[in-house]
Amino acid sequence: MSSPPSSSSGKALDFEAASKSAVASVESLKFKPQDDIAGGVQVTSFSEIVDEVTLHFQIIRLAKQIYVWIGSNSANLGNLYAAAPTRPNNTVSVTSILGGASDNTGSGIARRLVLKTGLNIIVACNIPKNNPMLEANAEKKLIEKLIALGYSRPKSQSSGPGLSSS
Amino acid sequence: MGGLEQRFPVPYKNLSVEIKGNKTDLVVCRYDDHFLVMATQIGTMGTVLHARKEQGFTVQPTFNVSVIFGKRDEPMLLAITRQLIEHISSSGSSMPLVLSLGLKDHSMDTLKGIVSAVIENRLW
Repeated sequence: MSSPPSSSSGKALDFEAASKSAVASVESLKFKPQDDIAGGVQVTSFSEIVDEVTLHFQIIRLAKQIYVWIGSNSANLGNLYAAAPTRPNNTVSVTSILGGASDNTGSGIARRLVLKTGLNIIVACNIPKNNPMLEANAEKKLIEKLIALGYSRPKSQSSGPGLSSS
Repeated sequence: MGGLEQRFPVPYKNLSVEIKGNKTDLVVCRYDDHFLVMATQIGTMGTVLHARKEQGFTVQPTFNVSVIFGKRDEPMLLAITRQLIEHISSSGSSMPLVLSLGLKDHSMDTLKGIVSAVIENRLW
């Protein structure tokens, strides 16, 4: 005895409709446009004069990572560092990937960038060493720009387990 | 606003191509002492490689190509890097190359696609 075609096809249709809507909801989760990245990634270049020193910045925004270049006076690539937040405890891991670790300027900037923004970051740093003011100024300008571009949210309050969560 | 009126010192190209059905974002930058090329299909820089020309005393230059961050067991990435540094050298530049490859597959067609896309949009 064959089952009435209407009910069996009805079941098949239900299943099909359910899976289609499931796929659609997954697709809509994937496609959350945050910036209008039309063809390619977003590259932002700018220069600032800080305390009579010219600083150049280049920010390349990939979907899940940000590349930052900081130059002063020359346009050399500088030392490359990779940094990312690390579980547990939201600590930060930094590693030098080009240029050696004798100059710590870039690694400090990379670490603090990740601490403040929570982003996965590659930093190319060409700032002269032994100049903490310049380093701090460069970092400040960079973070301002990252917030202005919407790549990271400004941290309004330090997070802690005791604070009320609404 | 505090910005400078002169041209930004690092020329670059930013584009997107399709290679074997995968959307590939390509960024090529020319610094004073390096070329930086980023080719990614996965949203991150992926594996970072470094290539430089060794100035020997013989007529033929030799090249040193190595992975500095990421997958060290994928020879195709080294092959792409080597092809590009040889092209840079034969175009007359001795600058080293930093290449980042975030690829979904490591097939010959992808290799050829990446190399030709980068060469077409080179800054050397």
